[in-house]
Amino acid sequence: MAVATFDTRAATLDPARATTIIDTFKAEWTKLRTLRSTWLTVGGAVLASVFLAGLVCAAQVSQWDKMSPSERADFDPTSTALIGVLFAAAILGSLAVRAITSEYATGMIRVTFSAIPGRRGVLMAKAAILATIAFPVALVTNLASFFLGRQILAGKHISMALGQPGVVKAILFGAMGVSLVTGIGLGLGGIIRRTAGATTALMLAVVGSQLFGIALPEGARKYLPGNALQAVTSVRHVAGLLPPGKAVGVLAVYAILAVSTASKLIARRDA
Amino acid sequence: MIQADHLTKHYGETVAVDDVTFTVRPGRVTGFLGPNGAGKSTTMRMILGLDRPTSGTVMVNGAAYRKLPAPLRAVGALLDAKAIDPGRSAANHLSWLATSNRIDRRRVAEVLDVVGLSDVGDHRVGTFSLGMNQRLGIAAALLGDPETLIFDEPINGLDPDGILWIRNLMRSLASEGRTVFLSSHLMSEMAQTADHLIVIGRGRIIADDSVDRIIAGNASRRVRVRAARQADLVALLEPLGARAQRAADGAVTFVGLDSTAIGEVAATNGIALVELTPEHATLEDAFLELTHHDTDYRAGAVVGAGAGAGQGA
Repeated sequence: MAVATFDTRAATLDPARATTIIDTFKAEWTKLRTLRSTWLTVGGAVLASVFLAGLVCAAQVSQWDKMSPSERADFDPTSTALIGVLFAAAILGSLAVRAITSEYATGMIRVTFSAIPGRRGVLMAKAAILATIAFPVALVTNLASFFLGRQILAGKHISMALGQPGVVKAILFGAMGVSLVTGIGLGLGGIIRRTAGATTALMLAVVGSQLFGIALPEGARKYLPGNALQAVTSVRHVAGLLPPGKAVGVLAVYAILAVSTASKLIARRDA
Repeated sequence: MIQADHLTKHYGETVAVDDVTFTVRPGRVTGFLGPNGAGKSTTMRMILGLDRPTSGTVMVNGAAYRKLPAPLRAVGALLDAKAIDPGRSAANHLSWLATSNRIDRRRVAEVLDVVGLSDVGDHRVGTFSLGMNQRLGIAAALLGDPETLIFDEPINGLDPDGILWIRNLMRSLASEGRTVFLSSHLMSEMAQTADHLIVIGRGRIIADDSVDRIIAGNASRRVRVRAARQADLVALLEPLGARAQRAADGAVTFVGLDSTAIGEVAATNGIALVELTPEHATLEDAFLELTHHDTDYRAGAVVGAGAGAGQGA
């Protein structure tokens, strides 16, 4: 008979202790930070957003002389410089989608749920970690975009300053908006479970709702996630958009709905 | 220790696991044998609380899996070696698992060493061969030093070295007093690795016994015979319960009578025997015999004892 050739017993291991939600948070954080793609995506989101802000501001500068006085009066330089919020939301939102769909794709979700049977806790941890990463990343992005935009728009003597009313709020709310979109992304990922399907759904929600929103009555359009995301960075009131504070609230409702629906489904479904 | 009690799982109209009751005991390797699609993986997923039983219960170490305070410390499982994110390193994969169950990080290096992956611990899993993935999956199962281990088809796709390695590991784990539950559709492998077998077919348990007893009790004894008046011998033996099968080289294989009985009949009737060879019963024979009954039962065929089993052509 085969002689035992293995010593699989642990040399040193403390007695087992009941795990808590804190352990789930730590484990999910380890998971996210040990993937190189996480940091590539975060870096990509920052660069793409700031680059886009520069591009749009430069386009404005080249258009400026052709604009009518009323168009110039309606021009919102802060909101224009923060256009990258849409990009950051799309990119970090799809990172959130993949935080769960990639586990379904490989089958690792079964490893996760056998290590951590409290599935709602897993989803909560993912949601909290993604939102917590997204907020400072988007904040830095917004500040960089703002100052880059100011440099470019200064060419046409368009004044921008953090001290102007509503500007700091737009930068903060923009970051909050991005952070909340990660919740929407994670929720859609948990509900749909396929990367392609959930990413498409997220893009339709964040970018596409301006397009197909036309099908809705005008009063309802502003509550679409894409329109709300557009509204969070506005300094001047724009017809058909919610005030920024309310828009953040609307996004928060979407994020909570998405994550709690996913949480319910995941707890009920077979893994 | 794993205890399944009237465990049942339906997927819509399909019955994947049908009223299954069994106990997997510590200190030995218990094989979970059945053809693909018999319900092995579904049963294992229910043990781990991944799939919810339609009815019945399954307990691990006396508790429902989902109620275990630190599951990896009680149960280690490898369901699918490829179910790991390819972008993470082996050590980091084990690291998040350790963190999730409050297992000391030092154990990560320990289990990497046990499975022989110490040198590639910081390599990304995407660069691993299937064999290395299997080893990593086993390292993950051993991480919490659990008393109960569950492996679903662990030797699938492994080379002979890898198979031998897994076989020795399973035996070592059992000799350390752990409960080892291992599924396979390969009977030959089970014969060499398992002490005890639970045989499943179409979602039902069709045998639950030691490997030796399953072979002895269920494999038909086959005897190869060549005789001078072969047709006469067949005519004499068939009424006694033997089924004859003609072999390609002209010999006849009898099932249902042993060599002593055949020899005696030949002697009393003056038939000279050229060859009389009892063929060794294997687990494969036993398995085919077991599933053969299962199929008859399922098909609802009216098969009386000893009724002509159509072994035509």
